[in-house]
Amino acid sequence: MSRARKIFDTLEGSLARLAVSRPRLAFSGAGAIGELRNRLSRRWPSPEQVRTLFPHLDRGTAARVAWRIGGLEARNRLLIDCIRGRGLDPVRPLVRTPEGFAALRPPLVLGFFHTGAVQALGAAVERLPGPVLVLRQGLLSTPRPPVRVESTEGDGQRRAAAFQRALVHLAAGGFVVVALDVVPGPGFRAPCLGRSIELARGPFALARIAGAPVRPLVARWRNGGVEAEAGEALTAPDPGEKALAGEAARWLERYLLESPAELGLGLLRSLLADGFRTDGAS
Amino acid sequence: MSPGVVESAVLDLLRSRAPLARGHAELSEDLRLGAGGLGLDSISLVELLLECERRFGLRGVAELLEGPPLTVGILIAHLRIPAGR
Repeated sequence: MSRARKIFDTLEGSLARLAVSRPRLAFSGAGAIGELRNRLSRRWPSPEQVRTLFPHLDRGTAARVAWRIGGLEARNRLLIDCIRGRGLDPVRPLVRTPEGFAALRPPLVLGFFHTGAVQALGAAVERLPGPVLVLRQGLLSTPRPPVRVESTEGDGQRRAAAFQRALVHLAAGGFVVVALDVVPGPGFRAPCLGRSIELARGPFALARIAGAPVRPLVARWRNGGVEAEAGEALTAPDPGEKALAGEAARWLERYLLESPAELGLGLLRSLLADGFRTDGAS
Repeated sequence: MSPGVVESAVLDLLRSRAPLARGHAELSEDLRLGAGGLGLDSISLVELLLECERRFGLRGVAELLEGPPLTVGILIAHLRIPAGR
């Protein structure tokens, strides 16, 4: 391990302690350290990697986006540490939800992407006006009402059972929160940023079978806190799941073109690993 | 619905939804519906059981997902129970 890396790891470790008493300061500090770390290493992402996905950006802007993604990752590492150690308690005061959030009506599928402050969404969905079922792999913290978590880990039948419980939850007038871009089961590939992204089929099948709309859900770091936002319901001319997944990918593309620094490293790696390129604008 | 009719209807349903079932004149009772058997994925499994609920006028068929690995025999036996009462 290089000396610089050890120093940065030590600094980030000390921020985990600061986050207990001064969370906003700690997260702002993590962002600054992450940006500096990226700026010095010019890696993950490099400005060239950013320009591969956002070719309209000039080199200077791509470099700044890369720094900010470095900052995003450092904040998220701290966020995960916080949640693992102390649950969502220190995160709840940091999360802001728009007024429209409380006006959302079930049955509704809220599909999130791995962008921005994705782990903070656990605190945001507690404010939804109705029972919430989160489908996810693994569990960072114990949920509290109105949120319940169903694991999507295991074989096909276990995932089917979780899917069925989500259908029952929607039929009873609940919200289902589920990742669109992590695919433990069947999925679709859809164009995004000149590459393609694999989206889970499950959320779109849930919506079709339950007759519920799908709205994208994102969270972004702002001023040491987190802002959650739900997009408009996705609509597609074709009622099929694949068409709706395509709309979700287009929504993500528009969102990232407006806010390229919200692209998490996992999603960036996944897009870069895909060799497929669409012709012209996707 | 008699047990024979139930069995025949279930096998027709499986052949219509599971491509791997189409090449077989008979489906053994211990054949799994999911991986390692007919290869239905998680969503197709749920859709199959919901279709059984609709077709046979039963509720709770999808709860079979909470039990042991689903096989052709388990599904047919579950659907036969009301017919035999």
